[in-house]
Amino acid sequence: MKKREGLSDSQCTGQRLRNRLKLAVIATAEREVQKHEMQISPHVMTALADLTFKYAEELAKDVELFAHHAGRKSVMVDDVLLAAHRNEDVVAKLRAFARSFTKSKEHQPEKKRKRAPNKEPDACA
Amino acid sequence: MERTTTMFQPDTVHEIFKLVWGQLASKGRYFSDIFSDFFSFNGKSLGSQLCSTNANALKLSCELLRLFVCEAVQRVAIIAEGEGLSTIEGTHLERILPQLLLDF
Repeated sequence: MKKREGLSDSQCTGQRLRNRLKLAVIATAEREVQKHEMQISPHVMTALADLTFKYAEELAKDVELFAHHAGRKSVMVDDVLLAAHRNEDVVAKLRAFARSFTKSKEHQPEKKRKRAPNKEPDACA
Repeated sequence: MERTTTMFQPDTVHEIFKLVWGQLASKGRYFSDIFSDFFSFNGKSLGSQLCSTNANALKLSCELLRLFVCEAVQRVAIIAEGEGLSTIEGTHLERILPQLLLDF
């Protein structure tokens, strides 16, 4: 990637990430706006993208502090849920979302658990 | 295909998190000077290390950001509709911004 002059490395990656997030924000907002059959002016979109990036930064700080407070070094699902605690509806939605992808993964460990008891009697005998 | 490339991606969010944590680490932590003892774990200071992130936690963060954007757009659209306009302008965003930030 071409490095712009006068920008440090972290500023450059910051800008790149900002743009990537902006792309996602625009796509999401466009889809949402189309439901209302309206249009959104470009500078509102820029403002919204900027807002989302700032929100993501705050989220990063929060989530890290929560993980540290719990004495963990990695951020878990609970930390993100805690970061959204201000709004109960958001928490409820996120809970449902979290459950949807933990369910799909739970099937695999269950199979292993079923096999494990079969082996135990052999080990005892 | 288009859907997957334009959605909020866990990778992007992870990079943003890492960038912020890196900046915080280089700046010196929030309370590191005064409270460093309180933030230590097993004798090691947690403040000096970067966090790792669970994949599900990243997906959930993406969903949170998506909800944030959707909520903002819907509220803005309601205001614009109320004014009988079909284009969302900056003033509409200004009106919903305080409550939006309080709600997230």
